[in-house]
Amino acid sequence: MIEVQLIVKDPKGIHARPAGKIVAALQGYESFVTVWKGEQSYDVKKLLSFMGSELKFGDTVVVRVEGKDEAECAETVKKAFEENL
Amino acid sequence: MALDYRKCAEEIAANIGGGENVVSAAHCATRLRLVIADNGKVNKDALDNVEGVQGMFESNGQLQLIIGTGTVNKVFDEFIAVTGVQAGTKDDVKAAAAAKQPLWKQMLKTVGDVFVPILPAIVASGLMMGLVEALAKIPGLGFGGSDWFAFLDTVANTAFAYLPVIVAVSAARVFGGNIFLGAVIGLLMIHSAFLNGWNVANTDAINSFFGVTDGVIPRWHLLGNIISIQRSGYQGHVIPVIIAVFIMCKVEKWLHQHVPEMIDLFVTPLTTVFVTALVTLWIVGPIFSTLETWVLAGAKVLVRNPIGAGAMGALYPVTVVMGLHHMYNVIEAGMLAESGLNTWMPIASAANFAQFGACLAVGLKVKNAKTKAVAIPSSLSAALGITEPAIFGVNMRFMKPFVAGMVGGAVGALVAALFGFGATAYGVTGIPGYLTVSNPLQYTIVLAIAGGLAFALTTMFWHEDVPEAPAAVKEAPAAEPAAAPAPAPVVAEADTNVPTEVALTASKTVESKVLQPVAGKMIPASEIPDPVFAGEAMGPSIGIQPEGEFVYAPFDGKVAMLFPTKHAVGLMSDTGVEILIHVGVDTVSMDGEGFEAFVEQDQTVKAGDKLIHFDRAKIAAANHPDTVIVVVTNSFDLTDVKKAV
Repeated sequence: MIEVQLIVKDPKGIHARPAGKIVAALQGYESFVTVWKGEQSYDVKKLLSFMGSELKFGDTVVVRVEGKDEAECAETVKKAFEENL
Repeated sequence: MALDYRKCAEEIAANIGGGENVVSAAHCATRLRLVIADNGKVNKDALDNVEGVQGMFESNGQLQLIIGTGTVNKVFDEFIAVTGVQAGTKDDVKAAAAAKQPLWKQMLKTVGDVFVPILPAIVASGLMMGLVEALAKIPGLGFGGSDWFAFLDTVANTAFAYLPVIVAVSAARVFGGNIFLGAVIGLLMIHSAFLNGWNVANTDAINSFFGVTDGVIPRWHLLGNIISIQRSGYQGHVIPVIIAVFIMCKVEKWLHQHVPEMIDLFVTPLTTVFVTALVTLWIVGPIFSTLETWVLAGAKVLVRNPIGAGAMGALYPVTVVMGLHHMYNVIEAGMLAESGLNTWMPIASAANFAQFGACLAVGLKVKNAKTKAVAIPSSLSAALGITEPAIFGVNMRFMKPFVAGMVGGAVGALVAALFGFGATAYGVTGIPGYLTVSNPLQYTIVLAIAGGLAFALTTMFWHEDVPEAPAAVKEAPAAEPAAAPAPAPVVAEADTNVPTEVALTASKTVESKVLQPVAGKMIPASEIPDPVFAGEAMGPSIGIQPEGEFVYAPFDGKVAMLFPTKHAVGLMSDTGVEILIHVGVDTVSMDGEGFEAFVEQDQTVKAGDKLIHFDRAKIAAANHPDTVIVVVTNSFDLTDVKKAV
C-alpha cells in the first residue's frame, strides 16, 4: 500500500472534467485507489464516488493506492492530480 | 461511416515516429496505450487530427490515445500488424474480464488466447499436410516416393514438428514475458539432444537414438534419483509448453521486480531460463509422460470392445488437447502387425470428423466475421484429419462445439466398432482415410454419423456470445463540423413534458434503458462542445441540446452523488447502470447560481422524477454552452452499451 499526500490546487475544487480525467488515467491499473477525507473514503476509479468526495480548493487529502501495480499507479495518481486538480 | 482501422493505425504509426519508436503497445477498453522511446518524434497536433483518435493524453510515460470501445481493439490489431510492434500484455484488460470467470473458463480462454494468433501457421500446415498425405496414399500414383512429396511434406509439417516453439512464443506474449526467452523454452523442449516426442513409445527408435538395447529412455541424474530428467522431447505437445512458459513468465516478472536494475539484464534471463528448464523437465515433464503411459494402456484396453471404442471416440479429442494422442500410432502399428487390420483408425477418424462437423457448424452459424474466417478453414483442415486448428482455435474456445464433437465421436466410434472394419495403414484419418479403409461404405456411414451428429448438436445448442462492443454506436459524420454552441434562445417557461425517448441502453444482468433526462435534441458525443466529454474519456456519452429546463430521472434508481453546485448529478439504476448527468460545460464556475435540486444524495427516485432545475438564461449569460451531457460511468461493468445517437 502506498499513501500519497496531495493538495487540491484547482480553485473550483473537484468537478466533472478533472475528476473524469483522473478516473480515466487510472482505469488501466489493477490497484484500488481511494481518497480520504478524515474517516470517509471515496473510490477514485469510480467517477460518481470520486466526484462525491467534494474536494475543495486547498484541501489536503491522502490518496491510498493498493494493489499489484501500486508503485506505477501511485505515480500516475500524483501526476494526474497535479495536472488536473 | 465505419472507421478505416488500417488507415487510422497507419496514420498513428506515421505520427509517432514509426514502429521502431514504440517500446510497447497495449490497449484497454477505450484507449490505445503506447510507451514511446523518443517523445521528440511524436507529432501531437497531427495525432489529434487522425480520424478515429478522439483525444489523447500522456500519463506515467504512456501516450494514451482515446479511440473508443469496440473500435480500439481493431485499431490496435492493425497497429500491431502495421508496425510489427510486440503486443503488450493487456494485463489490465484481461484481469478485469477474467476476474468474473471461473478458473476452468479462464484456463480455456488462456489456451484460446495462445492459439488464436498462431492459427494462420497451423491452418496452412494442416491443410497442406492433409492434402500431401492424401496424395501419397493414392495407390499407383507413386507420389509418396517422389521428391515433390518429400519437399512438400517437409514444408507442410514444419509448423507441427516445431509447434512447441510457436506455442511458446505466443504464450510468452499472452503471459507478458519476453517472447525470445519464451522461444528458448520452446526450442529446449524439442531440442535434438532429446528423443523426438513422437517416438517415446517406440522401442526401436529409442534403441537406435540412444544406442541402447533395452528400449528404455535414459535419464540425466542431476541429483541422484531425486532430480533426474528423462531425455525425451515434447514434439506434438501443447499444454506442457503453455505451463512451462507460464512458469517462465512468473519467474521472469518476479525477478524483474526483485533484481537490482544494474544486474537485471544478465541475472534475470539467465535465472529465468535455468529455473524454468529445470522445473519443466524435472516436474512438468514426468507428469505428462506418466499420463501418456496411462492413456496408452487405457486406450489399448478400451478398444477391445465396442462400448470402449465409443468411450475412446469421446475421449480422443481430450487427449489431443493434452497432447497425448501422438503415441497412438504405436497401437495402430501393433494392430497391423498382429492382424493386418487397423481398427483404431475408424475410432480416431470418427472423433476427428466429429470435430470437423462441430467446427463447420460454428463457421456457418457464427456472425462474427473473424470467427467465421477462422472456423471455415479450420473445419476443412479437420476434414482432412488435422484437427488442432478446429479444436484449439474454435471448438474449445466455445466449449459446447467441443462437447458436441465428443458426442459425435463417441457414437461414430461405437458404430465403427460394431461394423468391425479397419484400415490397412496408419497416419491418415478423415477424407484421406478413404484411401486406406477396408470398407468405404461403412466408413462413409461412420463419418456421416460422427460429423452429422456433432454438426446438428452444435447448431442446436451453441449460440454466439453477445458481442462486447456496442453495436449501435454510430460514427459522427466527419463532414459535419462539431456544432458550435449556438446561443441558446432564452426560454424561461417551465416545461411540462417529461421526455420518453430512450437515450442509451446497457446491460449488467438485464438490458436497461436510460431515458433522455432533459427535453431537447440528442447529439452524438463528438459534437459536445468540450474535448473531454467529446472524447468520452469518462465513458460512453451523449449530449442533449436542451429545450426544457428540468432534469428528470431517466430510470428507477438512486441518487449516487449530487454535486454541491447542483449542476451535476450521479445516478445508479436498480439494474446497476451508473450515469452522470452534467448540465452545461464549465458550469461548475457558476457556483450553483441558476441551479436548484429537488433531491438529496442517496434518495430513491422513479423514472420521470424531477431532479434539477437549471436556468438557461443564466447559463447563457455566464457564457457557457448549455449542452446537457449524459455519461455512462461504469461501462466496464456493463455489456452492450448502445447510444441512440
